[in-house]
Amino acid sequence: MLKMRQFLPAVAEQLFRDIQKSYQETSQIPDDLLIPLKFVFGPCALQALDLVDRHSVTCLSSPSGRKAFQVMGGSGCLYTCFVSCHYCPCPAFAYTVLCRNEGLLCKHILAIYLCQAMGVTQQASVSDQQMSLLLSETAAPWHRNVWCCVQQVDQCPQVHRNSMDPTPC
Amino acid sequence: MASRKRKRYCKDIKCVFFPDDAENGVENLGRGPSSLSSVSSARSWEKRGDSFLDTPVIKNHKSSRRKLSAIRKSTQIPALAQTSTVHINEEQVHIAWSSSDNEQSDDETQEQHLARAAALKQQHPQRPGRPKAPFQSYTRALHMLSTEKDDLPVIDTDSDLDESEEDVEKDDEQQISDCESSDEKPKDFPLKPTNVVELEISGYVSDGESAGNALSSSRLDSGSFPLQTGEGSSRSVSDWVRSAQAMLQTPQKAFDRPPRTPEDSGKKKRKFQSGGLAERLNRLQCRQRSAISFWRHQSISNTSVTAVDRPGVLVLEVLEVQEECNMQLVHCEHYQLSTEGHQYSHTVSQERARVLVLFSRETAAQLIPSPGDIIHIYPPWQSLSIEGFSCDIILNTHFSQKVFSASKPANMSVPRGLLSARRCMPYYLGKTFELLDVCRTTEENSVQQDDLSAALSSFRGSGVLKKHCLSLLEAIEGLGQAGSVGQDVEVVVQRVYSIPLPDSSPVSIFKPRVPSRSFAAPPAPVEKGKTRLCVLVQDSYGTFSVVQLHILPSKDDLHKYCELWQGKTCVLRGIKVVQRVTRERHTMLFSLIDSLWPPVMPLKDHGNTPSTSSESRSAGPAPRFCYLLSGQENSVEPTVGQAVSPLYLPPTGQTLRDVWQSEMKTCRCSFVATVLYKRTQGCDVGQGEVWLVLTDPSLQEEQPERLCRRTVTLCVSTSCVLTSSVLKALNSPAACRMSFRDAIKEAGVLLCVEQSVVDVHSVDPEDRHASTARPESLSQTLTEPQVKTLPQPVKLDPLSLKTTPNSLCTLTGVIVGVEESTAYSWPACNYCGSDHLKILAEMPQNFHCVSCKSAVEKPDTKIQLEVFLSSSSLSNYTLKVKFPGYDVENVLGKEVGPLAVYVRVVTRKPALWMCLEEICL
Repeated sequence: MLKMRQFLPAVAEQLFRDIQKSYQETSQIPDDLLIPLKFVFGPCALQALDLVDRHSVTCLSSPSGRKAFQVMGGSGCLYTCFVSCHYCPCPAFAYTVLCRNEGLLCKHILAIYLCQAMGVTQQASVSDQQMSLLLSETAAPWHRNVWCCVQQVDQCPQVHRNSMDPTPC
Repeated sequence: MASRKRKRYCKDIKCVFFPDDAENGVENLGRGPSSLSSVSSARSWEKRGDSFLDTPVIKNHKSSRRKLSAIRKSTQIPALAQTSTVHINEEQVHIAWSSSDNEQSDDETQEQHLARAAALKQQHPQRPGRPKAPFQSYTRALHMLSTEKDDLPVIDTDSDLDESEEDVEKDDEQQISDCESSDEKPKDFPLKPTNVVELEISGYVSDGESAGNALSSSRLDSGSFPLQTGEGSSRSVSDWVRSAQAMLQTPQKAFDRPPRTPEDSGKKKRKFQSGGLAERLNRLQCRQRSAISFWRHQSISNTSVTAVDRPGVLVLEVLEVQEECNMQLVHCEHYQLSTEGHQYSHTVSQERARVLVLFSRETAAQLIPSPGDIIHIYPPWQSLSIEGFSCDIILNTHFSQKVFSASKPANMSVPRGLLSARRCMPYYLGKTFELLDVCRTTEENSVQQDDLSAALSSFRGSGVLKKHCLSLLEAIEGLGQAGSVGQDVEVVVQRVYSIPLPDSSPVSIFKPRVPSRSFAAPPAPVEKGKTRLCVLVQDSYGTFSVVQLHILPSKDDLHKYCELWQGKTCVLRGIKVVQRVTRERHTMLFSLIDSLWPPVMPLKDHGNTPSTSSESRSAGPAPRFCYLLSGQENSVEPTVGQAVSPLYLPPTGQTLRDVWQSEMKTCRCSFVATVLYKRTQGCDVGQGEVWLVLTDPSLQEEQPERLCRRTVTLCVSTSCVLTSSVLKALNSPAACRMSFRDAIKEAGVLLCVEQSVVDVHSVDPEDRHASTARPESLSQTLTEPQVKTLPQPVKLDPLSLKTTPNSLCTLTGVIVGVEESTAYSWPACNYCGSDHLKILAEMPQNFHCVSCKSAVEKPDTKIQLEVFLSSSSLSNYTLKVKFPGYDVENVLGKEVGPLAVYVRVVTRKPALWMCLEEICL
């Protein structure tokens, strides 16, 4: 496969930056930024904004300095996401991002970015034991499926390397 | 033509045979730039083969597929959709006949294909598959199609649409009964059957699961097939054919069905939090969806594509297409319509920038962009400039239309298949976007609740700095929607001034050409005498721009902004481009820019990256253009901790003598001078032009040769805003000292115009203290040596032949006669001196002054007396001088002077005639 420059991640990154700046200055996100968000992320954007509205994103910190995000999904499931790489244990991430390569992020990770940009991430402290448990649990049941899936698609070696790596940083 | 094409694509999408056809057809578009129909039909064939892997058909199947791809690569025919359909049909015909395949549905679908193609061409009024021999219809259709190959097909769009809708309707009916079970199939994880021959598929289908889906769906279809045949037996053959075809069609997924809207929600009706972002986006989305539906409907019914001259329409040529995450990223170049005819051509100018256009899956499915195509993107689109990217990315491209397809026979040599969209590798997941980095950088800090926010804000600080663009040109080139500059630009504010609003002044240099758009704030109702704040900025590459900012609540606020901004490095944000102005049209503005040229420090070169600031170039000639921008009060923000920028070139105070003796024809100059006399034209100071007679110690001091005049005249035009303190000073009878910044000296006349700033020059200790903060301040440079040295009384030039109008001079001479016939007297207001008095009805001896609106009890009596004067300085002339307030008996034979007179008018033809007026300094 030809090595090409990828633009979409940069577009997404710039959008987050713009949202952050705009929110910092005006405490709101103008329509002019919501529309491109929707354009780039598709239906994810709406769901992620709903998660933001519901304050569903929490940043967990442990005394050792480790951090992780926890997103309360619409169904009440908690999804633990890493700080240092894009991974979410939700099925949408496994399917849309990992298997099909049809999306950059799932709604949970998108919600994390939006919350970070707006500075509305909830904060919570957990013990080191809890943190390590959380992170290792993240790699539990879905992982095997993802692993299989990635093996079959076999397009991006770095995907399974990252997704199989339970350590956050 | 484009609209027709679109319609056909709609139809193609509707007519896909397998669920993954639609699903993958779109994402595979780029790979095979040929139309959907070809892809889907080819694949439907391919899948049929897959489901009978062990039959001898597979060999034919393989070869046919190879042929297909070969054809696709070599085809360079306009309206590729049709032609490739033809080819495919041909192939299918051959295969069907040669393989003597007993699978009946094959024949039927092929027939259906052809019939469809024929219907497209409108060559076949008959319904497909009438009870005729399929042979006949095939050959006829083939014949017709092949003869028409090179022409663009003539399609009666209405009937085309009708038919396709009919088909879809019927298809839908069929679907409901039996195929529901397969609906959810594609959503699941791909169950990869091991017996799928990957090799075959890899030729042009890279996503592996399509084969799996095909297998499952075809199994489903064959299972329910007999049921349908029984039902169809009572119907006509064509109906049967259609139902048989519908049998093979699994239900389309929700997002496949309507190409009308970019996103079909409606599946989940969720409640969003009221007032939340999601609710807002949902509303926006609904609005956008209906706008897009409407637009597509309109663009389908309206076949003309001549809207290029509409503002905001991007005309782009596709260079390269790549696919990323279900979106198509198209490298484009700006295109311009040449004047003659409708031939598109490259413009010679180098200004054409490359842009990247992002198309959603739906839009891409309609456009099928391929290299060489010309695409129109109608507003509202949005442009996003990204740090480190040379070109902008255009988003929200829902309103896009292909107006020219490059796939003409002339370009046959270019293998089209090779230029198609290339699919990107999945992006690297092991690195998060910038925003999350903050979490890692704070890890050293003690973990507390507020830490993150603190870190976030500090991060923001650096982020903002990083986002700054240093070049106005680059920022303006990367124009966003409706001319708004997306990036922040770091500039030096060279000058701050204010301009009167157009309502109160007919003199406005700039007339914005850009039509105001709906979302631009409507101009607020303007009070008379309001002024708009302007800044002249310069970036580190030397480019200038004028930024028109908000309306000042009070004219006097100008000083505040001068103090705040002038000379500082500021960040421009949220600005819009109004106009590109050139030297030829705006000489006044460029005289100011010239006064700032060459820059005091070396400039950066656009060829280098901003970071390598050591690389610099010598300043070339002064710029020939600049941009007129508009912004709001918060558009200019001084960077923190910045004293005066090294690039700032403060106005240099000159003496009037220096100004006057300057060789330059037109130049800007700044000076402090004493206003000896002022004269307004018609009305009060501040309403119209004001003529000021100025002097300063440099003019008053004794000069060896009388090269210079004792006084100079300066005209303050209406475009120069005078603050209330200046007006107050000018309206008071006392002489006042004023500073003039960036006045123009042009053809021997001093002018204060739009960019000039007049200020009362005070020497208060407080003021002086303030000015030490800005060492280069004009007040500072000119104050000390001059204050004491202005002689009293002020010396004036004697009246001479060279005396110019609106100047002061002294007059001495002997009165030799009085023009008694013209002498008269009149009452004048004793307060304001106006002669515009009204007699009060109730008290006839009292007057009412119209000018100052006061009752005048004791009016001054002004006497107009014209006397003939013999002057020593003009020995050959007899002067007739108007003297107010003299008795006739007292003046005859008297020596007059030296009188200070104001020269009102000078006429040199047919004979020298000067109108002088005695004044009191």
